[in-house]
Amino acid sequence: MDNLNLLLQGFATAAHPEYLAFAFIGVILGTAVGVLPGIGPSMTVALLLPLTYALDPTAALITFAGIYYGGMYGGSTTSILLNTPGEASSMITALEGNKMAKRGKGAAALATAAIGSFVAGTLATAALTFLAPVAADLAVKLGPVEKVALMVLAFTTVGALLGRSVSRGLAALGVGMFIGLMGVDGMSGQMRFTFGVPVLNDGIDVVVVAVALFAVGEALYVGAQLRRGPQQLVPVTRGWRTWMTREDWRRSWKPWLRGTAIGFPIGTLPAGGAEVGTFLSYSAERKLARGKAKEEFGHGAIEGVAGPEAANNASAAGVLVPLLTLGIPTSATAAVILVALQHYNIQPGPLLFKDHGDLVWPLVASLYIGNVLLLVLNLPLVGLWVKVLQIPRHYLYAGILLFAALGAFAVHFSPQDVIVLLVLGILGFFMRRYGYPVAPMVVGLILGPIFERQLRSALQIAQGDWLTLVQSPFAIVVYVALLLALGGSVLLRRKEDDLEHELVEAAR
Amino acid sequence: MNPTTPTQPGRLSFGEPAMAGGILALGVFALVRAGSIAEPVTAAGAIGPRTMPYFVGGLLVVTGGITLARVLRGERGEAEGGEDVDLSGGTDWLTAVLLAVAVLGHALLIGVIGWPLAGAALFTAGAVILGARPWWRALVVGLIMAFAIQLVFAGGLGVSLPPGPLLEGVAFLHG
Repeated sequence: MDNLNLLLQGFATAAHPEYLAFAFIGVILGTAVGVLPGIGPSMTVALLLPLTYALDPTAALITFAGIYYGGMYGGSTTSILLNTPGEASSMITALEGNKMAKRGKGAAALATAAIGSFVAGTLATAALTFLAPVAADLAVKLGPVEKVALMVLAFTTVGALLGRSVSRGLAALGVGMFIGLMGVDGMSGQMRFTFGVPVLNDGIDVVVVAVALFAVGEALYVGAQLRRGPQQLVPVTRGWRTWMTREDWRRSWKPWLRGTAIGFPIGTLPAGGAEVGTFLSYSAERKLARGKAKEEFGHGAIEGVAGPEAANNASAAGVLVPLLTLGIPTSATAAVILVALQHYNIQPGPLLFKDHGDLVWPLVASLYIGNVLLLVLNLPLVGLWVKVLQIPRHYLYAGILLFAALGAFAVHFSPQDVIVLLVLGILGFFMRRYGYPVAPMVVGLILGPIFERQLRSALQIAQGDWLTLVQSPFAIVVYVALLLALGGSVLLRRKEDDLEHELVEAAR
Repeated sequence: MNPTTPTQPGRLSFGEPAMAGGILALGVFALVRAGSIAEPVTAAGAIGPRTMPYFVGGLLVVTGGITLARVLRGERGEAEGGEDVDLSGGTDWLTAVLLAVAVLGHALLIGVIGWPLAGAALFTAGAVILGARPWWRALVVGLIMAFAIQLVFAGGLGVSLPPGPLLEGVAFLHG
């Protein structure tokens, strides 16, 4: 019950009016930016990062918790209301949600997404509260060899499982790791790959890379392929009292719980592919559907929104477990959060809960608070989000460019960083154009240097004997799990392709 | 839904193989240059600053090579979808290039005319390139946004973005 006490103390800190205001601002900003079409959770977090620079660490982390959950929620609102195929992470929600909206049940889709997010977020945050300290206790016992194994697992799964092409995913990972090598090597003090350019001596700031890939690359890419003509927006009936009928509730609560049960464990794995949970939840709901629901699947079944949306939010909380206890980010958003933590000289890992309990517990507490705020705000404010969706696209993407340039400039107040931003943004453009996923690159960039440090200390301890890497039982288990995961993913991907084909056929 | 699936053969563009070849070349470069990283005499058995570059270079050569081989055999990468993306329309390279030029111009202007004006210029240029008409409305919106950001940073966060020579004397723009 020690954790409960610490959590209560966390609540006491987070409930301080000033911090409550920051949580509020974070949720509003996160949702507002997340609702903007074309901006996913990772870009939301990366773009809003500079705004938290001037805050004290506790306030910044609390704001971040709000932005994180708000950005997640905002994305699904977009995919339900906008009549266009969304980005991969919210595609499943869009499948049924958009169909529901077209049938005039948009309000119910939004409500089941919002309440499902709340239920899943709260349950998963509770699970996080109890699991994270346990995981941290276990993680303390892991040496460099075990950490190297876990990071190999994270690298391979993030690179190979995200996106459609394994070789392109791993190539993106490699490019990220290469950028991570640039600058002074922390262990030996040697320069690596600076091309004789002084601005590269300290390496490229991770914030610049993340903003460049997510924001500038996206703005250039969308600019080149902009959907012309008027935006098709699905109208939603006003008045939130009538949003969900008794039947909607009856059909939603089980998918919420199942989605949470599927999403959270998958998120906690120190491996990439948290969005697999969304997909698994969707196919589970489709299989379990009976009677009327079975007929409705593919044409807007509420279960198909409730389950995946819950799974999505539960895995978002789950991802925080390996991030906070092992320091291993498994999604692009988690990688950006890791950068934010490092900015405050907080190194996530086993010791985080011991050394920085005064920061972590208010962070966890504000996840609960953020969830409640989201529920309270989002149902009544949906009219505002609809307005946000109607922002003219030329202003929207010009604004994204402006904020991206601001974010890069604010790191060191150097215009050279803006030029680096542009170069990497152009790289991000070509990656999108030719089917290279961006997320593995950010994970490789951030995890690469940590991996190198652990690898070198592992080999130092073993006096250069590479076999040490496979001489720990734990590490062997991890490597075997990796092989199984890769084998399983081949099967899963085949299934996913089948499903997608079916849906494409059904849409015709 | 997606006109270019990975297995579907399509017209060979210049960009696809260039991208894969570029990754391959970066890998070769990393492997070659890794050897010239100064390796200090380290404790017995410890690996130095060259090992990781060799590893990353190898990864890039293998993945870039495989991707290149597949592209040359007719595989196409799947261009990323998105809410505002229309993949059926083809790529409008001019817009992308002009947007990049606008960001470059912004970077060069910050030191000359200060952040607020350079920011307004970036916003206006970006909006007009993307189709905002009339241009002066974009300019008004851009000026309001840039000065609002300057004020938020100076007033709320206590960090001063460089106001530039024209606005040097305006006290409230400073943190």
